[in-house]
Amino acid sequence: MAILETKNLSKIYNPDTVPVHALRDVSITIDKGEFTAVRGPSGSGKTTLLNMLGGLDRPSKGAVYVDGKEITNMKDSDLIDFRLRNIGFVFQHYNLIPVFTARENVSFIMLLQNRSKEEIRKRADSLLEQVGLGSKKDSRPVQMSGGEQQRVAVARALASEPMFILADEPTANLDTAAAMNLLDIMEKMNRDQNVTFVFSTHDQRVIDRARRVITMVDGAIHKDEEKVSP
Amino acid sequence: MTISWRNIWRHPGRSGVLLASIIAGLWAGVMIIGLMNGMFLQRMDYLIDSEITHAQVHHPEFLTEGYSRLYIPNHEEIDEWLRDDTRVRSHTLRTITDGMLQSPVKTSGTRIRGVDPERERETTTFHENIIDGEYLDSSIRNPVLVGKRLADTHNLELGDRVVLTFEDVNNELTSAAFNIAGIFESASPQYDDANVFVRSEDMIRLIADRPIFHEIAMMLHNEDDAEAVTAGLNERFSGIEAQTWYELSPEIRMMVEFGGAMLFIITMIIMLALAFGILNTMLMALFERMREIGVLLSIGMSRIRIFLMIMLEATILTLTGALAGIGLAWLSIRKLSESGINLEMFATGLAEIGWDHMIYPFVEGSEFVTIVILVITITILATLYPAVKAMRINPLEAARDT
Repeated sequence: MAILETKNLSKIYNPDTVPVHALRDVSITIDKGEFTAVRGPSGSGKTTLLNMLGGLDRPSKGAVYVDGKEITNMKDSDLIDFRLRNIGFVFQHYNLIPVFTARENVSFIMLLQNRSKEEIRKRADSLLEQVGLGSKKDSRPVQMSGGEQQRVAVARALASEPMFILADEPTANLDTAAAMNLLDIMEKMNRDQNVTFVFSTHDQRVIDRARRVITMVDGAIHKDEEKVSP
Repeated sequence: MTISWRNIWRHPGRSGVLLASIIAGLWAGVMIIGLMNGMFLQRMDYLIDSEITHAQVHHPEFLTEGYSRLYIPNHEEIDEWLRDDTRVRSHTLRTITDGMLQSPVKTSGTRIRGVDPERERETTTFHENIIDGEYLDSSIRNPVLVGKRLADTHNLELGDRVVLTFEDVNNELTSAAFNIAGIFESASPQYDDANVFVRSEDMIRLIADRPIFHEIAMMLHNEDDAEAVTAGLNERFSGIEAQTWYELSPEIRMMVEFGGAMLFIITMIIMLALAFGILNTMLMALFERMREIGVLLSIGMSRIRIFLMIMLEATILTLTGALAGIGLAWLSIRKLSESGINLEMFATGLAEIGWDHMIYPFVEGSEFVTIVILVITITILATLYPAVKAMRINPLEAARDT
């Protein structure tokens, strides 16, 4: 079942001066439970595509549908609320709130969703346990390693129970052990809880673990291959 | 609320400096206001209590012309009326004229004030200014009280004789010898130089064949009744003019108006400094957290919540500082209003302009409330720009940074 779909998605930066075609007629479909990597060289348009999928940027042409609903024509305020309830983000630089503890970082998004305090606490603790940080609930980002911070970011992305998670270069700043650990966790969530992940990445370690790899070149889809499960 | 509070303490040094400057600025501002209030009020109280009183009645032209013939035509009826008015605590009748004081040394122009010693004592505190000799209830014949400065310039001592010359009600010059019964020293050396006091009965004998009075001064139980009392007198009696202390004294008017203007200027300077302090701190905080705010927008924090977060940060910080500063100022004012501030090193200069060197500062509750309201208003205005800027951040900026 497609939860994410783009139709003829194009993005041109500086259309009136020096036009840059970041995306050219990209049409893809992502189904529930996919573990998909978007790869490509720098400037190929993979981050632009993720921004479009996450409703952070608007296309020059074409449309993005989430669960059948077009998000490209939504008002800014509606789009923010839509992101809050439907989309999880994991950033390359983790981007945790430095003044919050791990538990508070995970809880924050649920507070924005106006959930009950009891539910927020239980779910935050459970998610931190799932990412292996049960003992670091009260640590602040500055007291954690990069790998640990990124695991908190994954827990935060999952906290709002989104339809899918967009992860932009999630392992780029991690050493191999931390990257593999993070991928294990995300893969387990995908397998056990059917969480949908879409990555943009250069990292071969991610590409190796993805079940579908979309290769982009010059803003267009060059290759879209599904790996056969062993 | 939590994120705002934590953000404030993200840089304890910076927030601490702003907090300290708010506390120090407000404390200093309130202290200056208290000091000015104290100085003005003490001077006003002194002028009212010792001389002007809450209201006075004159012939309509007396204050500008000063002739003896411009006396109050119906003083007996007014006297009776004031005795029956329960708002009036006490009142006294004065016979006043301008004339000359002649001593063996020199001659000086002076205002001669004829007063009823008993009623004057009940109405004003002038008798407390006597520093040598006795008040006018002295047993000596034709007693006169002279100011210290006048006594010094004329080389006069107690018991010395001076000649006072002035016009009677028919514009004829008359003079008589008076004996110095006492020397007074008020808060104003100029006043001491230009006024002498005699018994009104002694003076009336010289200027008219019947009791005449040029001034009726009254103290009220409540000074706020001054306007109503004078309005009632002006409506009831013709040929007179009743005026409040505010109308009578240009010095008091100047103090009230100048004091108000000074308070406004001081308050505005403090508020302006506060506004720029807040603006600077919030803009610095915003520029540091652009990416973070972009991330908050990305994950679904609404723009209005971003706006409120920044506003709340500034409000918590400023209100904390403001309440601490005002609290500290309140404690200081409370202590100093009892012990006073001794400006002895400026005593000579202050005395020249009639001001006391012991100042008892005070700040009214309403002034504290006004300052808190102003601080809140200034905080909101100064934070609007950074808060609006924060809510307009493009979340893509955050994604682009990652």
